[in-house]
Amino acid sequence: MQKILIVEDDIKLREELKKFLDNNGYNTVILENFENSVQGILNENADLILLDINLPYLNGEYILKEIRKVSNVPIIMVTSKDSEIDELLSLNYGADQYVTKPYNIQILLAKISGLLKRTQNIDANQNKIKYNDFVLNVSKSIIEKDEKIIELTKNELKILHYLILNKGKIVSRDEIMNYLWDTESYIDDGTLTVNMTRLRAKLEEIGEKDCIETKRGQGYMLK
Amino acid sequence: MPIVLLALCLEIEYYNKNKFYKVLKENMEELEEKYLISEIIKNPNFEEGKILKETLQDAGKSMLENVDKYKFSQQDYKEYIELWIHEIKMPIATSKMIIENNKNEVTKSIDEEIDKIENYTEQALFYARSNTVEKDYYIKKSNLKEIVNNAILKNKETLIQNNIKIKTHDLDKEIYTDSKWCVFILNQIIQNSIKYSKKENKEIEIYAKEEKEKVILYVKDNGIGIKKGEITRVFEKGFTGENGRINGKKSTGIGLYLCKKLCDKLGISLELNSEKDIGTEVRIVFPKSSFINEALK
Repeated sequence: MQKILIVEDDIKLREELKKFLDNNGYNTVILENFENSVQGILNENADLILLDINLPYLNGEYILKEIRKVSNVPIIMVTSKDSEIDELLSLNYGADQYVTKPYNIQILLAKISGLLKRTQNIDANQNKIKYNDFVLNVSKSIIEKDEKIIELTKNELKILHYLILNKGKIVSRDEIMNYLWDTESYIDDGTLTVNMTRLRAKLEEIGEKDCIETKRGQGYMLK
Repeated sequence: MPIVLLALCLEIEYYNKNKFYKVLKENMEELEEKYLISEIIKNPNFEEGKILKETLQDAGKSMLENVDKYKFSQQDYKEYIELWIHEIKMPIATSKMIIENNKNEVTKSIDEEIDKIENYTEQALFYARSNTVEKDYYIKKSNLKEIVNNAILKNKETLIQNNIKIKTHDLDKEIYTDSKWCVFILNQIIQNSIKYSKKENKEIEIYAKEEKEKVILYVKDNGIGIKKGEITRVFEKGFTGENGRINGKKSTGIGLYLCKKLCDKLGISLELNSEKDIGTEVRIVFPKSSFINEALK
């Protein structure tokens, strides 16, 4: 499990953030003591750091510079300082990403996973997800079963991927729409219906006709 | 003989004073910042002139002190607003996090209200920024598509809830601007499109066209439009017009006024076309001056 370190002095916010990231499959730890923050952060040996700027004792920009002297660990600055200058400064000091509060949590999540993937060199194979008897190849946007290969459109891929990530749970249409919008596909209700129908037809071609179950009034679930 | 001498003295005095006041009047006319007049008057060689110059100098100095006092207090107030806004963003962020961890119908409804608070907060921040003389932005190479995506995402919930179709195309263009400011401006415009949409088949189309010296961003909706006589007034502060008085719209007349002001500061032009019952088209024109492009490379 990948380890994320939260460096944030607002207790309530960091607890909620930890809860959210834990729920999303990360091992999240919080830096409690800011007196010797640089050493404290390095000792945690995290895979990724979420770093606030306004902190007690030392500010985040200084901490960032100090960490960069000895480590290349991915760092996302998370701050309420929202000017272009602040962002440029942080990026110049070596931050990988810059996110302003209040953040869109899905986007923060996407940035975390994107950054982890990039830095940890996850090879293409790990972008293949096996489900039932077929394999979803996310990087090639195809589903494979035995010798059969079926191409998915961008939206179909995102929908199926999201359903697989949430397998066993009921996923509402609203949730799917939100996920698609967060990834720059601005689809409306009608388009979602069309996409679902097409996706099901494609799954039928590989004999997975009833793979997506409709829960009336609630949404969809992967069997 | 003494009379002739007296007449000659008076003549010289007249000549001197006449010349002094004539120069003074000319200078005053040419001067743009008229309060600086005492600085450029030559030292007069007669008594009234000296008194005049000293008086003007004292008056000018006292006025500058007075103006400085207001400049200071405005700067001070602006700094307080900025600080306050950074503070208020913390509880907003925490609230949104708590909502995310406790998703249900009630928290979803609260989330919508929190989004409104966030929007008003942003508006206050940019209002404070729009009122200062100093440069508060940073022009750099930015991608138009990213700016548009950010602005759309800020309105995601409302757009989905209201079943508004978003069409975007031809946005992959480089512009030179402060992207944070642009996201704010675009956000205000999209919010207007949402606010003044019709009941059915709602659609907002966002795209860009590149011309020789400029990149034009179009935001086109098929909403209720603006009455002909009111189009020229939409950028006025506090102007709400007929649409602003429709039940439940709660127009403040600040959004577009602020956009225009920020655009002026950034050197962007903001244009608006509208037809009642057909829709509204807003054009944001980014200059593509080769000078800026070269200087920033």
